[in-house]
Amino acid sequence: MLEYRPGNSLLHRLNPLTKIVVAGAVIVCGFLLPDFRGPLVLLIAVLALAAVAGLLKRILLMAAAVLITLFIGVFVLQGLFHEGDGTALLSVGPVTLWLDGFQRALLIFFRIAIIVCAMLLFILSTHPKDLVIALNNRGVSPKLTYVLVASLQFTPQMQRRARAITEAQQARGLNVKGSWRRRIQALITIMVPLLVGALIGAETRALALEARGFSRQGPRTYLREVPDTTTDKVLRWAALVVLAGVIIWRVITWLN
Amino acid sequence: MAELRNRLEADDGAAPEVLINDVSVAYTTNPDKEVLQGVSLSIERGSFIGITGLNGAGKSTLCRLIAGYIPHFFDVDMTGSVAVRGSDTAESGIGELAETVGFVFENPFDQLSGANLTVLEEAAFALENMGVPRQDIERRARASLAAVGIEDLADRDPAKLSGGQTQRLALASVLALRPRIIVLDDPTSQLDPLGAEDVFDVLDDLHQQGFTVVVVSQDLEQLAPRVDRLVVLEAGRVLWNDRPQIVLKNAVDQSYPLAVPDVVHVWHELRQRDLLPGAPEPPLTATEAVAAIAARSPATKAGSAFLDSEPATNDTAGGWARPDSSEVEQLYTADGTKGVSFNDVQYVYPGDVTALQNLSLNLEGGCICVIGQNGAGKSTFARHLNGLLKPTAGTVKVVGQDTAGMNVSVLARDVGLAFQNPDDQLFRRTVQDEVQFGPENIGAPDAEVATRANEAMELLGLLDVKDQKPHDLDLAHRKHVATASVLAMDTPVLVLDEPTGGQDAQGTELLGNLVRQAASRGKTVIVITHDMHFAARYADRVVVLAEGTLLADGDARSVFGQPEVLRRGHVTAPATTRLAAGLGLTSLPLSPAELVAELAG
Repeated sequence: MLEYRPGNSLLHRLNPLTKIVVAGAVIVCGFLLPDFRGPLVLLIAVLALAAVAGLLKRILLMAAAVLITLFIGVFVLQGLFHEGDGTALLSVGPVTLWLDGFQRALLIFFRIAIIVCAMLLFILSTHPKDLVIALNNRGVSPKLTYVLVASLQFTPQMQRRARAITEAQQARGLNVKGSWRRRIQALITIMVPLLVGALIGAETRALALEARGFSRQGPRTYLREVPDTTTDKVLRWAALVVLAGVIIWRVITWLN
Repeated sequence: MAELRNRLEADDGAAPEVLINDVSVAYTTNPDKEVLQGVSLSIERGSFIGITGLNGAGKSTLCRLIAGYIPHFFDVDMTGSVAVRGSDTAESGIGELAETVGFVFENPFDQLSGANLTVLEEAAFALENMGVPRQDIERRARASLAAVGIEDLADRDPAKLSGGQTQRLALASVLALRPRIIVLDDPTSQLDPLGAEDVFDVLDDLHQQGFTVVVVSQDLEQLAPRVDRLVVLEAGRVLWNDRPQIVLKNAVDQSYPLAVPDVVHVWHELRQRDLLPGAPEPPLTATEAVAAIAARSPATKAGSAFLDSEPATNDTAGGWARPDSSEVEQLYTADGTKGVSFNDVQYVYPGDVTALQNLSLNLEGGCICVIGQNGAGKSTFARHLNGLLKPTAGTVKVVGQDTAGMNVSVLARDVGLAFQNPDDQLFRRTVQDEVQFGPENIGAPDAEVATRANEAMELLGLLDVKDQKPHDLDLAHRKHVATASVLAMDTPVLVLDEPTGGQDAQGTELLGNLVRQAASRGKTVIVITHDMHFAARYADRVVVLAEGTLLADGDARSVFGQPEVLRRGHVTAPATTRLAAGLGLTSLPLSPAELVAELAG
């Protein structure tokens, strides 16, 4: 399941904003660095952090599904068809693996692997409520952050309801199998109660939120403490400085 | 503001906590219908007020007035005024009032914020919004969880609690704001009996601690013994507003359609026959009734019988008289070709959770009530009746055909199943269209579709609203629409899942008549229910499930006469049966009339 895993590592204790800034900087750097060795180093760094947070195995398992497909895809497309300067890395019968294509495939693969792993690491190591608090403390509207967190719980809730509705309609003789026409008709009998139910629930929820003082203006406090430490500040600045350095370096090399 | 409140408290301690003064309300969606008409009501500080009445009497509207949702949230035309602790609700906002009035809604799940990962965070949510200092939040949130008895659930995911636990969490999360008044709009209609009792016990506690508690409920057996005053609304007006004994006495005297507790009926019948001289007020609990009857009617034959005999214990249960049940026994020996038969059925959910095991029984003919606690396997059982679930081992046959490999939509020609939540199925523009959906699906001829739909709507009292949108009706009527659409399928087997939840006395009676009529036409009617009164009154046969196995199976009298079995199933016998046991009667009356006949000799 793609959800927060409690822990007490350095990564868990960092301010969520710090994690967003660092992850963002790493991902952008991955795209700025010109050949595959840069992104490889960054990917190793991300995985090392995951290991520190005790999340390495979980992240590798979750990322595997996406990354293995991607790996095969880019290697076939790039490695076999991108000849570059024509240097062959390996030839087996009529099939040739080109060096240039191979390097290019590695570059694409590592860049995307960084995005997937960094985002997984962020989601798994960040309590959603901490993210809300960190954003609210930065002046983001509580209504906006409420939607952010509520939507996380919304999907499983809707899945449960959709299943209950499907069962209730089948019990009234609705056939959910068969021709496309019939399937579309069946979909309507499920979508309408689902949406109406969500709307009715929304009214109660709106009132319940009011009754809990949600729309009250003025300062809020939080049960959870989300400190913004010196470490956080140093890390954020360091990430931005490194990112700026890489950008300047790339611009200079590009101008030359 | 706080200063003002302190002053009010000091100056005017005797002023009512809530003062509703000549209020009339019409919703702008239906401006011609005044939901409340000239209602005046005064609620004293620290009192426990029960509000009841038929569906559509204006109970929810009254609750919304106290919390200020009317006029601040709903669009209404309103005259008159409402003052809470001396200040006019029209002049304060909902958020401000929330610190004085806590509100708990009917649906337990819709009122969770949906933005908190643990029960503790949910209870702390209101405090966070109010800007309570961080060091106080946890202490206060834990204290309110403790006040409703769920402090041990603090680290659980709120989305994974039971209905009763969720309802108590909703109560805790408004209690955290330390309101003085707590308003609950039918908080237990969607809960099982144990969950409902837990909620009522918590309310009792809060009342003892000095909170003013206002609760809407149809469950008068739970409500009446606890409240100081019972208010009955009728068509937007206050019909009665008095001590519960007096209100219930009025209700039985006038045969008013309230769900009057059985003990009150028994008291009334005995009084009618001059068997209870000098008991001017009805008892509200079985214990009170036992005391009243034992003390005052030693002259009756039964009176001396129960005074002489030992109180009923588990040992005597086996010796209780069994009724003539030859007819019922026929049902068990039926071969299942007209109903549903289970043969050594086992069902295991993914993850190795066994929900049903060694279940063998034939369900055929008459009204069969299936009872048992939450988690007993009732809903898994129901889904086997129409092939939504297929047994992991063993076989289920519907009208003689094995459900294995059969499509639910085909089985629907033989089994109609109406689920508990009507909103899971209503989707058409009019009630009539909705009711026709079932028969259309199973391929009934057009002419017959309309006839069947009309019959079903007539039986459920829906003809007056047949052109309305189903979603504009209240919950009780929406449930009737869902039931009608399954009834109109005219299947040999009819399954109703908790049909009486949220119904008033009239609605329950309507369903009872429907069940009887269907059974008399030779259908098999299977009712899955928590409502023991319904089972006692209408069941030809009662099946008790516990932990996925068959705990008891027999006619109502023999099942309710086995206290030990009921205890194992966490099921409570109907009040009349408990009263009879308390009086030491060896017979097993199922209705007040039977009990009174027994007592009168």
